[in-house]
Amino acid sequence: MLIMLAVSASVGLLTHLLKLNNQQVIASAIFVMIVMATLLFWNFRLAIAFIGIGVLMGTNTLDLPTFIVECKIDVILFLVGMMVTVGVLRDLGLFTWIIQSVIKTPKMTGRLFVIMLIFLSAIMSCIVDEVTSIVFMATLVFQVCDALKISPMPFLIISVMATNVGSSGTMLGNPVGIVIGQNITPPLSFVDFVVWSFPIMIITLTVTMFILLWWYRKEIEHLSERLSERREMGMGLGPLINVPYKTGLAILVGMISFIGLHHWLEIKLGLAPNTVLIVAPLVIAGVLMVFRQERARHYIEADVEWWTLLFFMMLFAVAGSLQHTRVTEEIANHFQNAFGSRPALLMPIIIALSAAGSALVDNVVYVAAFVPVVDKLGQTPLVWALLQGVCLGGNITMIGSTANIVALGMAEKRYRTSIKFFDWLKVGLVVGITSCLVAWGCLMMTSKYMPTKQQRLQTAQSHLKPAAVHDSNTIR
Amino acid sequence: MAAKINNIIRFSSLFTPKHVICQTKITERDELLLEMLRKLALVVGIGDAEDAYQSLLQRENEIPTVVGPGIAMPHVRLSSINRIIVGVATSQAGIKYAPNINQPVKLIIMTLAPKIAPGAYLQAMSSLAKICQYPATADNVARLDNAQKVWEFFDQDGMTLEEHLKASDIMGPVTVKLQEHDTLERAIDLFVRHQIRDVPVIDKDGDLIGVVSTHELLKVCLPDYILWIEDLMPIINFEPFAEILRKESKTWLTEIMTMDYATVIEDAPAAQVAKEFAKQKVDHVYVLREKKLVGVVSLAMFLNKILRE
Repeated sequence: MLIMLAVSASVGLLTHLLKLNNQQVIASAIFVMIVMATLLFWNFRLAIAFIGIGVLMGTNTLDLPTFIVECKIDVILFLVGMMVTVGVLRDLGLFTWIIQSVIKTPKMTGRLFVIMLIFLSAIMSCIVDEVTSIVFMATLVFQVCDALKISPMPFLIISVMATNVGSSGTMLGNPVGIVIGQNITPPLSFVDFVVWSFPIMIITLTVTMFILLWWYRKEIEHLSERLSERREMGMGLGPLINVPYKTGLAILVGMISFIGLHHWLEIKLGLAPNTVLIVAPLVIAGVLMVFRQERARHYIEADVEWWTLLFFMMLFAVAGSLQHTRVTEEIANHFQNAFGSRPALLMPIIIALSAAGSALVDNVVYVAAFVPVVDKLGQTPLVWALLQGVCLGGNITMIGSTANIVALGMAEKRYRTSIKFFDWLKVGLVVGITSCLVAWGCLMMTSKYMPTKQQRLQTAQSHLKPAAVHDSNTIR
Repeated sequence: MAAKINNIIRFSSLFTPKHVICQTKITERDELLLEMLRKLALVVGIGDAEDAYQSLLQRENEIPTVVGPGIAMPHVRLSSINRIIVGVATSQAGIKYAPNINQPVKLIIMTLAPKIAPGAYLQAMSSLAKICQYPATADNVARLDNAQKVWEFFDQDGMTLEEHLKASDIMGPVTVKLQEHDTLERAIDLFVRHQIRDVPVIDKDGDLIGVVSTHELLKVCLPDYILWIEDLMPIINFEPFAEILRKESKTWLTEIMTMDYATVIEDAPAAQVAKEFAKQKVDHVYVLREKKLVGVVSLAMFLNKILRE
């Protein structure tokens, strides 16, 4: 606790020496306190965030209207809708069906299992959130490894790394996707992610796959041997039942289509950018709750991670106070003074900074602070560099992303075993650095085709009906 | 009188020749027990001998404490004393100790333990384990014609109380176990027949290699990914169980055996057993001599021995 307060006070002192005003000093100190809380007092992070908000308001650094706007209720509601829908999908057996589909794959080998694991983890973390994805992918790993009596740790790490890489594919996968998408001027659409991020994700995932196949070659070989021994005995990898999966699958496809069409629908209806994107999961959740009214309360109370969402709200508000007090503008100015405005130089710097930042602090915390800086720099490729950096950087350390922490927590609870920080770091550095380099290369190649901020603003304005123009200016 | 030697207490230090009733003519068990208590009350003071007698009798009527051929070790915990007190009685003719025990008892070693001393009686009993196993002990002691000689018999080397109660003092024998080459079918039979929740699995050398539990069996039939489904329809006719049943005679135990069980070595302090119960949230702790399975302590057995016996 003393360390946290000391670091927070040091940041306050430092910002004071840099001639920032009092409000900027307080906002910076409180933000650093929350960063430290996520590092040192994970279970107290929400309590510390609540107190931090109190300090910001008490010192008039943050007023109530700004707090309400900066809570980013749009992002929170989007996540609530997604979490409810995912809860319904689990109830309907969709995830059970997916796991069973892997388990009953004929002629399974270790290599095939790992390839399936990597692509399934990545795709699922694109479609549902990364935490849900890792929870059921870890269950698959445990089921297979328990049946084969082998250590699950290498395969869990493989799945987590694929999940982190995959979460950069769409704005549904990682909360940072929707935070970036909603907080860039003008907001990014689902289609923007599919066009500018998904292909890069597939390339970085393929590179990651080859690294992991090589890194864990002995463990994969061992899995193959145990698989064939078990097959010779006529044993499967787990019980199989007839899951009525079609309803769940239809809902999932429907949801993705609805979200995928949000940009087109917004143009047709003359709505502000991302209105349908934010509302779609809520509408789908609402419809599902009507059909499953006996479980509706359960979905809201048990499947929505209120603890995390409330922390996000407080975090966004604190990060918003950094923006409000122009701290982020100062950082952006310093950034430009130091590195100029050439994307060729800024891009690797942002990827490297984001990867390092995300490896050490929670990636949502990092993005909440850094998005306004990148937005101020006003260059589209840098936005994607930020996204790639934070998602891929999550693989570097075992605390790099929520998926890592959740998966290791599950393994610890089940097997009473944990991985050493440096054991993860070895493979994490190789995968993290290589995938960041690949992403950088891809962004360098695609950046010249990306629309500029000005072009995107013009496109957004041209699609709006006059009545919605005013709203679009207030949505952020 | 011998006392502590290197933190080890001699059994003989728990009583004196004055505590001994030698070659009694009493032939009734209850009468002799009352006589022994009165003697102890007179010599060292144990509070109300009549109360102690009622408690002792109740315990002996429930489970007679015949611990070896012709040897009984009745015991009771009393709040009126603050150290272990031992009384000894011998009978050349022997006495009928319990209806279902035919061999007459010739040596009675009565242990009175403080109420707040868990396991004191077990420690005392453990120190006599060797002589209890020897078939002629009761006859040999009963032949001694005075109290001093009886006390000297217990003053022999080896009859010492360890500083702490060991796992081996509180363990019971492993009556139900499986061999590594057994099938799931046999395990299910044992679960049903003996109404038990865990069965240890040993290899040909008697080493413990795993445990098969009903909970684990249920988890194999209904893994997490099946439990996610809220709708019971896919499993309403126990489909996953049917699959297990189809394969039970071909499924080796090692396929469903768990390595997640608690063990202690036989010399470990009994407190270690308590720690394993609390830490690992298990019902049984297996006691090993190196890797060999030598006993088991169930939670119920543990609580009875530590808090009641």
